[in-house]
Amino acid sequence: MSEVTLTATTGRETGSARSRRMRAEGRIPATVYGMGREPVSVTIERADLRRAMTTEAGVNALIRLDIDGESDHALVKEIQRHPVRRDVIHLDLQRIDPAKPMLLTVPIELIGDSKKVTSAGGVIELKLRQLKVSVRPDSIPTHIVVDQSEMVVDDMITVGDMSLPDGVSSEVDEATPVAIARLTRAAMVAQRQAARGEEPAPGAK
Amino acid sequence: MLMPRKVKHRKQHRGRLTGATKGGSAVSYGQYGIQALEPGWITARQIEAARIAMTRHIKRGGKVWINIFPDKPITQKPAETRMGSGKGNPERWVAVVRPGRVMFELSYPDEATARGALNRAIQKLPVKARIVKREEGF
Repeated sequence: MSEVTLTATTGRETGSARSRRMRAEGRIPATVYGMGREPVSVTIERADLRRAMTTEAGVNALIRLDIDGESDHALVKEIQRHPVRRDVIHLDLQRIDPAKPMLLTVPIELIGDSKKVTSAGGVIELKLRQLKVSVRPDSIPTHIVVDQSEMVVDDMITVGDMSLPDGVSSEVDEATPVAIARLTRAAMVAQRQAARGEEPAPGAK
Repeated sequence: MLMPRKVKHRKQHRGRLTGATKGGSAVSYGQYGIQALEPGWITARQIEAARIAMTRHIKRGGKVWINIFPDKPITQKPAETRMGSGKGNPERWVAVVRPGRVMFELSYPDEATARGALNRAIQKLPVKARIVKREEGF
C-alpha cells in the first residue's frame, strides 16, 4: 500500500474558542500519540487531510506524518465530526511501527446478486459492517469482500466463512454472523395465507 | 404507542433545548436516516405516525429502526381549570431531540423508494429534518 504524506504543525493553542477560530481558518486541531511517546497537539490543513483520506485506501491510509521536520508513520485512529454539518472538527492520529501488525477495522462489502433470496421474497441483512482485523500497516485491505450470490433464504454467512486477504487475520468469533438472508414479514404472511388457501391481502405481491 | 413500562418519577421538569445532540448523529443500523435539524419534542403519536407512513410506503423488503424513545412525561391541566392546585396530570410521552440526532433509520434496496418513505415520515414530525445516508469512507 502506498503512503500519503501529511504535514502537521505543532504549537497550537488549546481551548474551544481558539479551536473554533482555527477551524474557521481551515486548520483542524489534532492529537498525535502512540509508540510510548508524549502526545502532541497539532493542526492539519483541512485540504491536505481531505487529499490524504480520499485515496483508494480510504480512512485506513498509511500516513507519513511530518511534524516540524520529524517524520513518523501514523494511522487515523478517530475522526470527530460536527453532528449537523458533518465536517471534521478533530482528529486522533496514532504513531505506528510499519513492521508490526496492528488492530484496525476494515469495511465489509457485499458483492453479487442474491437472486434466489429476492425471488423468494427475502432480503439480505448485513449484520456486520466492519471487521476488526490484525494486519501489517503496509498491507491494509481497502475492504473485505463477501459474495452473496449463492445465498438462499435462511442462509447465513459468518466470519468463519469469509476469505480474508493474505496477511490479514481476525480474532472475532468465527460464529459471528456477517450476512443473513431472511424472509420479510410480508412474505411470511403471504406464505402462511397461501398455505391456508386464503387470498393474499391487498398490497401484498 | 411507545412509552416506558414504569418510571421513577411521574412528572418531570420541562428542561432546556440548547445545543446539538451529544450522540446518535450517524446512521448506525440501516442505509438511510432522518436527521433532526432543530430541537424539539417528538410525541409517541408522531413517532408512530412516522413509522406507519414509512412502512406503508415501502410495503415489503425493507427494515425500519426507531432510534428515539419517548421517555419524558408531559403534564397538562384539564380545560377550564383555575390556576394553582399543583402540577397537572401526565398526558403524553415525548422524546427530546436536539439538532443532529438521527431519529429513524431505514434499510431498503431501492434508493428512490427509500427517500419517498423517509420524506413521508418527515411530514409527520414537528421539527425540520433531512434525509442522511450512511457515512462510508471520509
